[in-house]
Amino acid sequence: MSAAGSGVVAWSGPEAGAPIGVPLVDLLDRVLGTGVVISGDLVIAIAEVPLIRLSLHALLASVSERVPAPWSDGGPL
Amino acid sequence: MNAPRVNVDPDHAARDLVSLVLTLVELLRQLMERQAIRRIDEGGLTEDQEEALGTALMMLDRTMTELCEHHGLSRSDLGLDLGPLGPLLADTEW
Repeated sequence: MSAAGSGVVAWSGPEAGAPIGVPLVDLLDRVLGTGVVISGDLVIAIAEVPLIRLSLHALLASVSERVPAPWSDGGPL
Repeated sequence: MNAPRVNVDPDHAARDLVSLVLTLVELLRQLMERQAIRRIDEGGLTEDQEEALGTALMMLDRTMTELCEHHGLSRSDLGLDLGPLGPLLADTEW
């Protein structure tokens, strides 16, 4: 039974490097449930020539009473 | 000795591309499904909102299956194994 079954992720020993038996989509769901803020700058360049600049201040979170939806009627999307 | 030829026949490559796209769509679908469950557990939704949410997700699931069959893929083909990170998608055969 993988370590994840018992809820404990092995840090050392034979099971250390084993993949955690949790699908990534569940992890993403929990991250969204907690809420995450991604902020930073990204520059896409080719051959050292900066072409595109992306400046991010993104809040990614599930809609809840703590993080209300900005539009009352569910919004455009 | 000529270089090993990469014989990428067009429909095979197209099918792999479709498979990648469908994997992304499936990832979003599973994510939205879990968010919907989380939101329904939290309460605060009216009866018909929950009803509409459930119906929409069911239709989406059915459409995914049709899309996969249309392109000669199966739902399990969409699963992506990320090695040390484990599987990308949860297997949906329940």
